[in-house]
Amino acid sequence: MDTLVDINNVRKVYKRDAFEVPVLNGVTLEVPRGDFLALMGPSGSGKTTLLNLMAGIDRPTAGSIFVDGKEISRFSETQLASWRARHVGFIFQMYNLIPVLNAAENVELPLLLTKLSKKERREHVHAALGIVGLEDRSLHYPRQLSGGQEQRVAIARAIVTDPTLLVADEPTGDLDAKNAQETLDLLQRLNTEYQKTIVMVTHDPKAALHAKRTLHLEKGLLVNGYNLDTMASA
Amino acid sequence: MRFLKLIRRNLFRNKLRAILTMLLLAVIFFFVATLLAILDNFESFSNAGEGANRLVVQSAISLANLLPYAHEAKIRALPGVVDTAKLQWIGAYYKEKSNFFANFAIDVDKMPTVFDDYKVDPKELAAFQADRRGALVGVDLMKRFGWKIGDRITLKRQIFPFDPELTIRGTYVHPVQTTSVFFPIEYFDQSLPAQTRSEVGTIWVKVKDPKQMAAISQQIDAMFKNSDFPTETFTEKEFQQNFMSMMGNVKLLFTAVSTCAIFMVILLAAITMSMSARERVTEIAVLKAIGFEQRLILGIMLTEFILLTLIGGAIGSFGAHFLFLFVDAGKMTQGFLQNLGVHAKTLAVCMATAAGIGLIAGGLPALRASNLRVVDGLRRVV
Repeated sequence: MDTLVDINNVRKVYKRDAFEVPVLNGVTLEVPRGDFLALMGPSGSGKTTLLNLMAGIDRPTAGSIFVDGKEISRFSETQLASWRARHVGFIFQMYNLIPVLNAAENVELPLLLTKLSKKERREHVHAALGIVGLEDRSLHYPRQLSGGQEQRVAIARAIVTDPTLLVADEPTGDLDAKNAQETLDLLQRLNTEYQKTIVMVTHDPKAALHAKRTLHLEKGLLVNGYNLDTMASA
Repeated sequence: MRFLKLIRRNLFRNKLRAILTMLLLAVIFFFVATLLAILDNFESFSNAGEGANRLVVQSAISLANLLPYAHEAKIRALPGVVDTAKLQWIGAYYKEKSNFFANFAIDVDKMPTVFDDYKVDPKELAAFQADRRGALVGVDLMKRFGWKIGDRITLKRQIFPFDPELTIRGTYVHPVQTTSVFFPIEYFDQSLPAQTRSEVGTIWVKVKDPKQMAAISQQIDAMFKNSDFPTETFTEKEFQQNFMSMMGNVKLLFTAVSTCAIFMVILLAAITMSMSARERVTEIAVLKAIGFEQRLILGIMLTEFILLTLIGGAIGSFGAHFLFLFVDAGKMTQGFLQNLGVHAKTLAVCMATAAGIGLIAGGLPALRASNLRVVDGLRRVV
């Protein structure tokens, strides 16, 4: 399998007033194309920061990040925005749908940045909502949907442009067990049926079991030696 | 165009706030459009005789002091003068004081030469000139009172001790002055007590060459400088402006009030727009995350804010425009504001100002939102 994401000795330091807070301390990681990777670790370990870096919404203080052969850590803000529109799909913990738009309009948002015609956009939206099983809710506004349905709309928005990489930050963190299971099953299906490369940050060992592999971060470094099965049954 | 739906939905995301803001803008712009229309009205009054090559001679002491008829012949004899006409403002009203309009006693035989910009049907002009108590009435005034040619009207005295009893013999058309009444100065003169006859407030001078107006003006004043009745001569525009300035510096007052109102609305709009942008920090971060560039976010937000102020401004200024189409401001202001209207130029100024308010008030919130770092926006709990 070829490498989709190649992270080399990445460091990230945040400046908080006069203080420098190191978050990532030299992370090196490869994510093969078609992988479903779960990133776990305690709060403040740097997992969301690592996710943000590979998704191009943050920049490393040092080191390099290649995605699909392109060194995104050298991109300008404008280049990054354009790159994200074509290559990354985002799934957030709090769904982050636009409340004034209905489900179909929310899913259509990333397509507005493409040259697709209105008809083509409608077809893509219909297909994406079909994959997440919400064609019948396309005209519903976020307030008219359950948490699980909102998250599925968010997933449809993330996949509608057929991105190279899907990043999910605690996608089940705000869902009950049933909806969490459905969301994870959906992500797993996207990975197996549609060969989507997914990187997911989670606190939940049961959620991580849906991934093909899990990596742990502690104090800004990747660590090994965790037994997922034990953690999941705990 | 493809972002219009997003802009429109965001514009009305908080309907009550959007409607209240638009109403506030509408009220302010109604007020500003009305003030500008009044200034416009004054301005058009001042420019009424533009291109007519007329000088106005009045007493150097004040407009209330009269000049002897004898001055007129001396002025007419000056080289470059085409003709002269005596004109006396009467200040009478029709039936009630609220029915006030400009009414003048005039040298009727001089009207076609000195006031050639007042268009009159030749037959009606002849009838007017032939009747000692004839009246020539502006078309809009005819409409206002439903008068017809041949109607007899009586004006009530305010300044001079007589009530002009007139028969309407004709109407005139003029680009600005459409609500005045003219009648023969002989009738006015002979109605006054003997000791005050043969005197007039102004003598209007038609000049052949506009380049000579300044020189002729100086010659007239020099000619009467040492007489018992010294004169002061103005161009028609200066005369009208002096007349308007008797009310004080209305232009400065109106401009100051309008500026204060607009400044106030900028502050209020800025508060509303800041709140609106702040509420959407996370959404903006999400839009940026999925690929919306900084400039696009800035454009979308500015368009939304400018639309908000444009809609409010349009409701107010076009509201004033339509109101004055149907409401007779002349009647409401006892004849003070004739033909008041919010014209295209005023509407354009109001709309440009509204867009400017949107840009100024929304500029900073939109810029801050567009500059937001995605990770900061996603972390922020509003």
